[in-house]
Amino acid sequence: MKRLTAKVLSCAPLNAEMGLLTLALPAGAEAAVPGQFAHIAVPGDRAHLLRRPISLYSVHDGILELGIAAKGEGTRRILQAKPGEEIDLLYPLGRGFDKGAMRRIAFVGGGIGVAPLRFAMERFADAQCRAVFGFRSRDLLYAVEECEKTGASVTVCTDDGSAGFHGLVTGPLEEMLRRGEVDGVMACGPTPMLRAVQALALRCGVPAQLSLEEHMGCGLGACLTCNCKVKAKDGEFGYKRVCADGPVFPAEEVVFG
Amino acid sequence: MNMGVNLCGVELKNPVIAASGTFGFGREYDEFYDVGSLGGISVKGLTRLPRLGNPPHRITETPSGVLNSVGLQNPGVEAFIEKDLPWLLEKGAVVVANAAGSTEDDYCYMAERLSKTGIHILEMNISCPNVKEGGVAFGTRPESVYHITKAVRAHCAKPLMVKLSPNVADIAEVARAAQEGGADAISLINTLTGMAVDVRTRRPVLANVVGGLSGPAVRPVALRMCYQAAEAVSIPVVGMGGIETGEDAAAFLLVGCTAVQVGTANLHNPYACPEVVRGLEAVCAQQGVQDVRELIGALRLD
Ligand SMILES: Cc1cc2nc3c(=O)[nH]c(=O)nc-3n(C[C@H](O)[C@H](O)[C@H](O)COP(=O)(O)OP(=O)(O)OC[C@H]3O[C@@H](n4cnc5c(N)ncnc54)[C@H](O)[C@@H]3O)c2cc1C
Ligand SMILES: Cc1cc2nc3c(=O)[nH]c(=O)nc-3n(C[C@H](O)[C@H](O)[C@H](O)COP(=O)(O)O)c2cc1C
Ligand code: FES
Repeated sequence: MKRLTAKVLSCAPLNAEMGLLTLALPAGAEAAVPGQFAHIAVPGDRAHLLRRPISLYSVHDGILELGIAAKGEGTRRILQAKPGEEIDLLYPLGRGFDKGAMRRIAFVGGGIGVAPLRFAMERFADAQCRAVFGFRSRDLLYAVEECEKTGASVTVCTDDGSAGFHGLVTGPLEEMLRRGEVDGVMACGPTPMLRAVQALALRCGVPAQLSLEEHMGCGLGACLTCNCKVKAKDGEFGYKRVCADGPVFPAEEVVFG
Repeated sequence: MNMGVNLCGVELKNPVIAASGTFGFGREYDEFYDVGSLGGISVKGLTRLPRLGNPPHRITETPSGVLNSVGLQNPGVEAFIEKDLPWLLEKGAVVVANAAGSTEDDYCYMAERLSKTGIHILEMNISCPNVKEGGVAFGTRPESVYHITKAVRAHCAKPLMVKLSPNVADIAEVARAAQEGGADAISLINTLTGMAVDVRTRRPVLANVVGGLSGPAVRPVALRMCYQAAEAVSIPVVGMGGIETGEDAAAFLLVGCTAVQVGTANLHNPYACPEVVRGLEAVCAQQGVQDVRELIGALRLD
């Protein structure tokens, strides 16, 4: 079943803003795909009614890892979890990344958007994987070594030049696309980054998959509160549900703004 | 123990109905439990033509509450009749068709169209705060509630339940207006209009600027309004607003509701509705009540 109680194994800092929450999944948890998410009940009092969607950072041997940024009260409370405590989750939800026939994949991540890519790079390690990750500054780096361990090459970019390249992830991505070095892109990060990745991939004719974020209610596809704009027939637009139709969408389908 | 109730001629297995807009057409929750086991399912608000709804963000959290501004996104009444209604009927669910419109003509059309199908109850939503035309505009003044109920009554061959807005000065007056217009039942409350602002960006959190508040935050207001409405009318009242447990549901029955609806709780807990049914059974057992109907209107004021 999809509603689980998972035991906290540990909760440790991942970088200056994020924590790594490690959970033991109960027996019988469904198999998960990279890009899917867990919908987490905020622990403590019952005043926080909505669950918080968090991408899967890693799943192996019945252990689920989540990389969580303390944004507001909900994520702060989740990160206060102590070993032995129980977390209530709906898991796994949504439609994840699809490797299809891709043999050379570029992973493009920004900030907390790097989290789902780490799981994807673990799972798709039989492909030739290259990653470009953007962070605001050096103290916000995470997941880089873990991703390198999968055999991939990782290029780090920072906004302030304190680590790796000084600049945006789109620079290195553009070079890879220009040189025809990849046959697919998987991306997750802030909207301006995704918009730029979408434009580049479409221009170069390389298929891309974008993982989107939106405020959510049920997480199951029933309440229609998590809508994102997509292209529809005849140049019109429509809405899809980020929770159930996504969070990963083909780049050509997504309409930003 | 008997948990069944009769709601304007329709037998419900128990008094717990899933509330409109939080339950889709039931399919997602059927992955968790048999939705046919509920008292009924009020489906997502339907309109004559498909509706896109409002842009994102459509939801945010407030203390013990939720603000939403979906704006009646739905595939239109024909798609519902073709794709979802047969499935719901096959599940053995009592189907409450929640319908909205922009004009009186829309409401009458919806009533006529849905009367020709297997739905059990028409829930006329004149209380949606998230659409520009129609919706709550019909539901805020007693005269307009009377008028639209009377007009729709003439086109409706099914039990007609009018869903009332809490955004009114005197709920008793509005409830009486629906009864006088010919409603077979009333349901309340729809959401209370509210707003949230992101101080950092100085923007409203919801793209629609305002939204509807639901969840435990509204429960005391909802309970008071159900009490006043039940005192004012002789037709059945279906109560909702922040119900999460069997105890919550029992309180609504005690103030005079024949059945309850559970909405926002589904967003947090996919098992909310069956848990309320079991909780209500437990309340009855504790109090030595053999028939859940003994709770209806059993509030003691001495
Ligand atoms: C599919 C998906 C995957 C995500 N994966 C991760 C992840 O791996 N790590 C991580 O740190 N964060 C992730 N997020 C973002 C995370 O869900 C939000 O930061 C979190 O919900 C904020 O809650 P809060 O109470 O701390 O903040 P508040 O701002 O106080 O939240 C208020 C309300 O707005 C909602 N909200 C605010 N920001 C967001 C947002 N960006 N996305 C969705 N809802 C939001 C909250 O859920 C809550 O209902 C993901 C979001 C989505 C949609
Ligand atoms: C996301 C969401 C969507 C809703 N959509 C509808 C709708 O389409 N039609 C309607 O009559 N009420 C709608 N409602 C209102 C609920 O049916 C219910 O009246 C209200 O939320 C109060 O009950 P609750 O506190 O149990 O949620 C919606 C509520 C929510 C939270
Ligand atoms: S969160 Fe309910 S439909 Fe996506």
